[in-house]
Amino acid sequence: MEKSIWPQARRGMARASLPRRKLMLGAAIAFGLVVVAPLSAQAAAPPACAALQEKYPDWKGKTLVNAINPHTPGYETIDPKDPSKYIGFDIDLGEAIGECLGFKLTYKPVVFAALLTTLAAGQADIVISDIYATKERAKAADFITYSKVFDGVLVAKGNPKGINGINLSMCGAAAAENTGYVEVPLIQTLAAECKKAGKPEPTIQLYDNNANCIQAILAGRADTYVNDVNSVDSAVKAYPDKLEKAVAVTIPYSVGIAVPKGKPKFRDAVLAALIEVQKAGTHMELLKKHGLDVNNFMEPEILTAD
Amino acid sequence: MSLFLHYLSMPYLLAGIELTLEVTALGLGGGLILGLILAGMQLSRFWPLAAIARAYTVIFRGTPLILQMVFAYDALPHIGIKLPAVLAAGLALACNEAPFIAEMLRAGVLGVDRGQLTAGQALGMTPSVLMRRVVAPQAIRTMIPAFGNEAVSALKNSSLASVVAVQELTLRSTQLASSTFDFFSIFFASGLLYLLLTATISAIQLFVEWLLDLDRTTRRERKLADYLPWRRVDLATKLDLADVASPDPEPAAAELTDTPPLALTREERARRAATIARNNIAVEAKDLTKSYGGQKVLDGLDLTVRVGEVVALLGPSGSGKSTLLRCLNHLENWDAGTVRVGGRRLGFSEDGKRLSPRAVANERASVGVGMVFQQFNLFAHVSAKENIAGPLRWVHGMTRIDADRRASELLDRVGLSHRANALPRHLSGGQQQRVAIARALAPNPSVLLLDEPTSALDPELVNEVLEVIRRLAIDDGLTMIISTHQIRFADEVADRVAFLSGGTIIEEGPAHEVLSNPRNPLTARFLSVMEADKTPEAVR
Repeated sequence: MEKSIWPQARRGMARASLPRRKLMLGAAIAFGLVVVAPLSAQAAAPPACAALQEKYPDWKGKTLVNAINPHTPGYETIDPKDPSKYIGFDIDLGEAIGECLGFKLTYKPVVFAALLTTLAAGQADIVISDIYATKERAKAADFITYSKVFDGVLVAKGNPKGINGINLSMCGAAAAENTGYVEVPLIQTLAAECKKAGKPEPTIQLYDNNANCIQAILAGRADTYVNDVNSVDSAVKAYPDKLEKAVAVTIPYSVGIAVPKGKPKFRDAVLAALIEVQKAGTHMELLKKHGLDVNNFMEPEILTAD
Repeated sequence: MSLFLHYLSMPYLLAGIELTLEVTALGLGGGLILGLILAGMQLSRFWPLAAIARAYTVIFRGTPLILQMVFAYDALPHIGIKLPAVLAAGLALACNEAPFIAEMLRAGVLGVDRGQLTAGQALGMTPSVLMRRVVAPQAIRTMIPAFGNEAVSALKNSSLASVVAVQELTLRSTQLASSTFDFFSIFFASGLLYLLLTATISAIQLFVEWLLDLDRTTRRERKLADYLPWRRVDLATKLDLADVASPDPEPAAAELTDTPPLALTREERARRAATIARNNIAVEAKDLTKSYGGQKVLDGLDLTVRVGEVVALLGPSGSGKSTLLRCLNHLENWDAGTVRVGGRRLGFSEDGKRLSPRAVANERASVGVGMVFQQFNLFAHVSAKENIAGPLRWVHGMTRIDADRRASELLDRVGLSHRANALPRHLSGGQQQRVAIARALAPNPSVLLLDEPTSALDPELVNEVLEVIRRLAIDDGLTMIISTHQIRFADEVADRVAFLSGGTIIEEGPAHEVLSNPRNPLTARFLSVMEADKTPEAVR
């Protein structure tokens, strides 16, 4: 299963739609200074990767399994034009890291809540699926963080309940969330505050993918869905007459690549490769390619339970 | 609509069907194997096996499939069993289906008429032959609708494999919906695909039901017959008769016309008694004792029957007649006492050990005790002829040709050659009992036990059966022990009657003497109650 691959030119597979490519061209011109360097390196993985492959030879020539929850447009979904492939920022980033260390990736689609259990059970080798790295989750896996988190608040058109974040405006509202999302405990803690303010508590409806959360708002079952701002944006783009983004909120987490606990060598190799991919400008380029906010960019760090 | 059609024909979704079917097939196939094992364990004589099976059923029937899927996929790797997703999902589905299938199998097996099992045992079938030839063919027929149901449910349940990353139809649909936002077109399309799959299963189920329908061949004949103008008039009456299970009584009567004298004269009886007295002992029960939960059914009963002798057992219901007969054939175990048939002690090997059910079956076949039951107990799924020929092949290893020849011979003797291919349910009670007698006679038994052979018959059908038995006694000199309420018949046919009460023989002696001059007051009272239409006056 060859997945959407960066760089495109070498593989000769034009998967991005024409308008998007125009957009990218525009972006390339606008951010000329940043982009020039990676363009020159496009023909191969960054040169430093050769050294990395020598230092970490265990994964060279291997095919690893990446567990994903492919329900997040922009990050990871199947390609509507060729549903046998996965596309999105996380997919491209993972393959760039894989190319640097010399491994290929296949994909295992699971529900969000099963991402880390699948990893822990050895049914996957790595998880690159827009998962927020928290101390709680670090009990199940080690994380290499790579992106800041901005959440958007998705509401019905006109925002009838006047919701503007995970705050008192959400009291009494019904929030749709994915099972296992970090927003869930945040909304749960809100219950006490609402009670103190003499307001009804918010209720949470748990679904198992992004699409079902969006459907819950469209069907009038839920009032809001708080999630990664880019996911919220793509939902609004798909249903511009029915949905809108109320506001973006900051969440005190970062997005991380999860690797199994007890494999520090693999963790370090992925970290080193990510640093090289960032140095080569690939990370930034991919953000733009997938229409994500470049402010998401962050230098990688390791997050473990201890 | 065009979107709907686009998704309906999308190769990506169609490819998902393949995985859906794979998981379903693994689940059903594995479930059937596991279910067979479980059902076998539950029906087993060894209680630990049954207990383990019961515990398994409680656990796997009592927990959600989705948890079992996650367990098979995520937990098993921790103990070193890392199955591919499809296999893990198939395993979980199989483990989940197994208890349901086991219960279906158990219901199917237990649903087969107990009487047929007893009849099979009496014919000397080992438990495995009985299962293969009598129980399974009937159980399978009754289980098909339930199995169709289970297949549909397994197919739908396979969608839960989506939680363990099996790219089946449901998972593909949700992923597609997430990437395109065409939520409803996609789910309508995949819904329709599921519907087509389940409809196919239903069609297969109906086809198999049709295939195994025992009446199918009969019905086809009927249809064919409908086109024959000269048979039409005949057909109308004949079909009705077949349905009330009492067709063409005339030929039956015709075949049994050359009846010998109804009973023997006094001199003939005396001569017969003298001959029998010199014969060897055929059956001997000594001090036979048996209780059912504290209630004594046989209380130190003694009975000796000589070769060629016909003994009628009389007595009120519950006096132990049936139990005695069942012990003589070792269909029942007894608590104390011995039973010898042809000099051989039943139920024990030469070194005095109790025999296993299988060995008891072989013993029955070799000792040669035939048995005829009140409820006929014909094997419902095979024809009259096969009821006779089947056991000859299965138990006595006869070739098909020999067995069929013997069956035809015997059907002819009981006047039923023309009904050879009829199913038992299309025969009248009297005809069924005549087939049952033929079946019991087929292996040439040394003794024939008849347990109230006419009690379940309508009065007008009693005579045809009694006639057959009478001939066996008088023409063939067959050793018989008959429990009956037909006093007059006992008087005509039996050499000796034994009157049972409270599990012992309270009076016995030459038939005519005991029946006309009972000495025991209990016998007298019983006879006077039965007297109304059965006075013993037939001796000429």
